[in-house]
Amino acid sequence: MASREKELSALTQTSDPARGQLSQLVGRLIYPFLHGEPPKPHTPTGFYTDTTVCIGCKACEVACKQWNQLPSDGFEWTGNSYDNTTELSASTWRHVKFIEQFSGTLSSGGPSINGAPNDPVLNRWLMMSDHCKHCLAAPCHQACPTGAIIHNEFQNVYIQADICNGCSCCVASCPFGVITRSDMGGHSHKCTLCYDRQRDGLEPACAKACPTQSIHFGPVEELREMARKRVEELHRRGVPEAYLYGDAPSETYSEMHSFYLLVDRPSVYGLPDTPFNPWLHMLGDYSRSIAGGLAAIAALLIVVFLLRP
Amino acid sequence: MHANSASHSALTRPPSPGGGTENGYENMPVTKVPDWYGMIAWDALLNGMATGLFMAAAVSELAAPAVFRPVAKVAYPVALVLLLIDLTMLVFDLGDPFRFHHMLRVFKPGSPMSVGTWCLTIFSLPLTAAAALSLLAEFGVDFEWARILAVVLGLLPAFGSAAYKGVLLSTNAQPGWKDARWLGGYLTNSAILIGCAELLVVSALMGQTQAIAILRIAFIVLLVLNLIPLGLLFANLQPAHARLYTRAQQWSAGVLIFAAVTLIPLGLTLLNGGLLFVLGAVLFLLLGSWIVRFVYIKIPHTSPLEIRGG
Repeated sequence: MASREKELSALTQTSDPARGQLSQLVGRLIYPFLHGEPPKPHTPTGFYTDTTVCIGCKACEVACKQWNQLPSDGFEWTGNSYDNTTELSASTWRHVKFIEQFSGTLSSGGPSINGAPNDPVLNRWLMMSDHCKHCLAAPCHQACPTGAIIHNEFQNVYIQADICNGCSCCVASCPFGVITRSDMGGHSHKCTLCYDRQRDGLEPACAKACPTQSIHFGPVEELREMARKRVEELHRRGVPEAYLYGDAPSETYSEMHSFYLLVDRPSVYGLPDTPFNPWLHMLGDYSRSIAGGLAAIAALLIVVFLLRP
Repeated sequence: MHANSASHSALTRPPSPGGGTENGYENMPVTKVPDWYGMIAWDALLNGMATGLFMAAAVSELAAPAVFRPVAKVAYPVALVLLLIDLTMLVFDLGDPFRFHHMLRVFKPGSPMSVGTWCLTIFSLPLTAAAALSLLAEFGVDFEWARILAVVLGLLPAFGSAAYKGVLLSTNAQPGWKDARWLGGYLTNSAILIGCAELLVVSALMGQTQAIAILRIAFIVLLVLNLIPLGLLFANLQPAHARLYTRAQQWSAGVLIFAAVTLIPLGLTLLNGGLLFVLGAVLFLLLGSWIVRFVYIKIPHTSPLEIRGG
């Protein structure tokens, strides 16, 4: 996105009439204040990622890069299993994580995911395709002072690249470390849930490319139903540790429109165990801030009143 | 946000900590650190210096005009210069500085940055007016009623400009910062303290003995008062600091900050009200205040192993 943004901005827009420098400057100043008509809301859509069927092929990563024309991040051997992507960034909106859990000794634990009895539970691979969670009450959306981050008509969290000015408030507020500011344009970027494809009635590129149907795309309510049935099925088949992460709101965080089926603790997958919305502290923090200032002003006033001639 | 319903609890309950192995991404940082470095520490200090000086001058002038009017007339232009430097820093800290005006396309009360931007913008108007009218008065063009009106109108946005900064730096998901419940309380309180100190320097430079006598006592009271939010902030940050620094490093930094922020300025002010002593006290206060802000800004940027290994 960052490189495409740069390339496109350098092109001459032949459809536009020729404009002088002053006119361009005025246009640049006024443009962000022109608010368009918001599109009519659609059924909320999202992702349900079943990590138990992910095979770590990274087709989703490639499809995302290809469709969104995201630049390469270079290549470096990290030594962390097959994960040489390392993290989500302004130019990497999908990140397949690899977790090797090999205890070295065969345990006589319960049966494995494929149902075969007496398979060792701790000698396993966990793989997970990570991306933006598209939170219902998204801290990045709340933090954004420019209004660049919006919930679009599909209730997906979307960054308007032409509005973002790179203040980084969204980077600081995301509890999942999804958003990053690009070094190229200085703006923040993340998964758009293939907004352009959705508008054309297509599913996101990653879901389309996933060969094992680990990534499901669709209306959020249908995905939740599908995910719950899958968890129940896994429980029946002897995988009691299977659970859903982010499908329902907790006391400290809203539901997410992209949620996961996991079989180990969230932190093992690099997710916060109990995500917390920083905005729950905001009113209290403002109160303390105001109290601190008022106390000082009161002290100053008392001294001035007592000592003035 | 609601608690999970009972029917879903079995589907959403992760395995107990003993059930898994400590591996994978367990010990890797989850959040991304924003590109906020030393410039933000300077910004936080300059914000306090500009808003604090204006508020201290305005409150003092409105409460005792006969004593503080000459001092305040110098303080407002100084506050404007400090604010302009601060605003320049804020603009250049953006990823795309040419889009700074995008901040004003919406007003979001839920976004501390939005509240801060609007407060700073509104504050800059009466401050500019007060500064300009103060300077014009020196040349015989005196619109006293307009200057006082500008001062009164500037008070609320100045307070907002001082109050938002701490909330911005504590209402986020960054390790350490997210636990700093008293950062806002400390920064706002510190802004008034710094403002009072600056006004004391202006008074000392102008030889305004009555103003010096009052502000010296006010400075001592505010120094002691500032220890409360500073102590509470330290208590908030103790768990984060314990992860980053050894006990000896924590004590050293604590003693250094306490000495610079409180002990030395207090001692110098109690010792003598002369210009040199006042200047020394204020310089130590500014140094200590900068260290507090810098140590705070550095928390999420710091790798525990780097620090512990020196």
